[in-house]
Amino acid sequence: MFLVAAGCAFGQAVNTQATPAGRAAGEKIFRSHCASCHGVSGAGGTGPNLTTGVFYHGSTDADLYRNISQGIEGTAMPDQFFNGVQIWQIVAYVRWLSATPVRPKLVGNAAHGAELFRQKGCSDCHLVRGEGGVRGPDLSVIGSQRAPAYLRESIVEPGAHVAPEFWVAKVITKDGKNHSGFLLNQDSYAIQMLDFADGLRMIQRADFKDFGIDRGSAMPSYRDKLSAAELDDLTAFLASLERPREKN
Amino acid sequence: MRLAIGFLAATALFGQVTYERLLKAPSEPNNWMTYSGSYQSWRYSSLDQINRQNIGNLKVAWVQQMPTSHRIEATPTVVDGIMYVTEPPSNVFALDAATGRPYWHYKRSLPAYNVCCDAVNRGVAVLGDRVFLGTVDAHLVALNAKTGAVLWDVEVADRKTGYSVTGAPLVVKDMVITGVAGGEYGVRGFLDAYDIKTGKRRWRFNTVPGPGEKGHETWPTTGPNANSWKQGGGPTWVTGSFDPELNLLIWGVGNPSPDWNADVREGDNLYTDSAIALDVDTGQLKWHYQFVPHDANDWDAVQVPVLVDSDWQGKPRKLIYWAHRGGFYYVLDRQTGEFLLGKPFAKQTWAKEIDAKGRPVRLPNTAPTVEGNVIWPGVQGATNWYSPSYNPLTSLFYLTAWENKGWYLKGEPKYTPGNRYVGSVPDIDMADDPGYGAIRALNPKTGELVWEHKTQTKPWSGVMTTGSKLLFGASGGWLNRSSREDSEAYFFALDAENGKELWRINLGGTMASNPMTYMVNGKQMVTMAAGSAVFTFALP
Ligand code: HEC
Ligand code: HEC
Repeated sequence: MFLVAAGCAFGQAVNTQATPAGRAAGEKIFRSHCASCHGVSGAGGTGPNLTTGVFYHGSTDADLYRNISQGIEGTAMPDQFFNGVQIWQIVAYVRWLSATPVRPKLVGNAAHGAELFRQKGCSDCHLVRGEGGVRGPDLSVIGSQRAPAYLRESIVEPGAHVAPEFWVAKVITKDGKNHSGFLLNQDSYAIQMLDFADGLRMIQRADFKDFGIDRGSAMPSYRDKLSAAELDDLTAFLASLERPREKN
Repeated sequence: MRLAIGFLAATALFGQVTYERLLKAPSEPNNWMTYSGSYQSWRYSSLDQINRQNIGNLKVAWVQQMPTSHRIEATPTVVDGIMYVTEPPSNVFALDAATGRPYWHYKRSLPAYNVCCDAVNRGVAVLGDRVFLGTVDAHLVALNAKTGAVLWDVEVADRKTGYSVTGAPLVVKDMVITGVAGGEYGVRGFLDAYDIKTGKRRWRFNTVPGPGEKGHETWPTTGPNANSWKQGGGPTWVTGSFDPELNLLIWGVGNPSPDWNADVREGDNLYTDSAIALDVDTGQLKWHYQFVPHDANDWDAVQVPVLVDSDWQGKPRKLIYWAHRGGFYYVLDRQTGEFLLGKPFAKQTWAKEIDAKGRPVRLPNTAPTVEGNVIWPGVQGATNWYSPSYNPLTSLFYLTAWENKGWYLKGEPKYTPGNRYVGSVPDIDMADDPGYGAIRALNPKTGELVWEHKTQTKPWSGVMTTGSKLLFGASGGWLNRSSREDSEAYFFALDAENGKELWRINLGGTMASNPMTYMVNGKQMVTMAAGSAVFTFALP
């Protein structure tokens, strides 16, 4: 098979904004547009730590430029509306962050954490690399998506941040049936859910007798169910679940 | 487990496609569980709610506009009310099959990749609670069918040397089979089987044999071109078929590389442009049949093999019906690969005939030249990857045909990894005589034309037939959305007995996929992609 190629060269240039003034401008943008996820110091939160010099999605300037301007498809990293100069300023700042890495100390034992993950029932709900359930988010690469402090908090206080795709829809239909599951999508006429009982299901609003959305977490809190050491181990295990590095 | 037919079985086994169900896919017409609808690849459904009397009332039931700007080439898979359809380059949507509303969307973050002809994808395979996807960066991915979460993701080949995966995988037993694309990049083609649980590779069959392997002698083994086999091409980018009784996987192999300058690869260049039959458990070659030895026209054998058990000259025989890109229609014996028939189904000027042994008798002066050479069919062939259909009620074989010529040039081929290795670029759609397209019905026993439905533009899509003797097909289509915006784009239904047009609609976007049908909530639905949208039709 054959026909005309679509070019996919990515404009690569020397970053002319890698200057103190450029970095300072980049820092300002970072604080207003990135810190909510990556933390004020860049050390991570609901987004990954950007200070370690490790970039799973590519570490050339061109990769950073692409990831920051276009976002990262299939992840929670959004695209942003900046002009080219501003993006190069942000790139300059992000590079500078790696010059002084902030590496949180992980005291736990990741191998033991992996065992606990099975013993404590976490894997009944969470997938890790193809093993586990689907009653919670896939945690296969959670270590490169969130900071350890956030991971620890997720275990003891699951309700603190619940992404909308994990809100729970509770429906009683006119024929008296009960359904509950993650609310995947909704429109004027129907909802689409992952029914905890039997998988993907659409229910027409016309068939609702009762419908509610629970924005709390479907995950039980482990606050009093784990020792401090166990919590450290689980956190270390989750932090070790890294994304494979991008091959350039 | 034995299965009852249709709806009951489907409900009872909600969400769990088993190998047993795939074997009996034709007895579950509510679902469309593999690329071609069944292992025999008839692209036929026994559904008959939409029929020749009521088709005039067919209406759009829903449309799913995808975010992509690439054209959709996928055949959707439907299992128990859920449609899994790919969004190019390498994303997947799980849609409600009744309304088209999305449940989940897998979006692959892609590095730079190499594809010859737009970043496309032809669909997924499904087994158990898993959905399998090949990607343009040459990976194979298993997704959880309920959430789209990645269960495993393995590299099939190195994208940087020009490999990609664009075809829909095929699940057989506990394996997922995938081919590769890359025939314009000088890849060495292969067909792979992976363990559905772990993603571990079970076997690989190299479509270009290496030193010591049978068939290697059909490549230069000494002299300056002794390494040409390493970049010999032979990609496998369209989903093949499976014969459970013979335990044989039957697959088409693409063009040798470089496409249009064959001087660097003296010999027949096995197994390029061939049908191959592999033992599905081991990947070992049982037989092969080469349509075009030493091809210099890019006439891949990337058609879907249609497997039919029928009488052949008075004796029951396991047959394959195959309309090849070079313009001949073939019948092969499925057990042995024996050549039984070869007859042109479109104008061709390169072969006098196919001889009794199945080897084409080439006419002189039918290879590309430095000055250029006009040959029928053109480089896109007399047909291509467009799915054919066999209908057991009419006993006819249906296909998309192109009547067209090409201007073939021979240039310098130079291999550098990851770059095009083609040795010229032929011209198609020539202004003085662009040719035309047609949906044709052939008598599969003789290759004779039974009827044809002509189209102004040459269709880039396949056909599907149903239990009510309807044929769905399309006209128009082009590789880019930006070029040829003004070309026609009709999706239509014909009477499969005589080719009479019964219904049509302008979908206004490139159609480069194949129609399929299924049933949900008691309604038969017909789906076709056009441009970057999926259209589904039903009776009111
Ligand atoms: C809504 C939260 C959010 C915001 C806002 C956000 N990010 Fe991200 N970012 C993420 C997440 C989550 C990831 C990890 C993606 C993944 O791998 O799954 C990420 C990944 C990245 C990466 C890639 C890291 C790697 O390993 O390759 C970079 C670089 C990055 N972000 C920079 C930025 C910058 C700069 C901004 C502001 C302009 C920003 N992000 C704003 C959430 C966010
Ligand atoms: C009953 C099912 C269930 C169990 C058991 C469960 N979780 Fe969860 N988990 C969820 C759900 C649902 C969410 C998403 C809502 C939320 O953020 O709280 C979640 C969220 C998380 C997150 C945050 C993920 C993110 O992307 O922000 C982490 C980390 C996590 N769980 C870890 C664990 C660990 C460790 C255990 C075992 C000690 C566990 N979970 C047990 C259901 C479960």
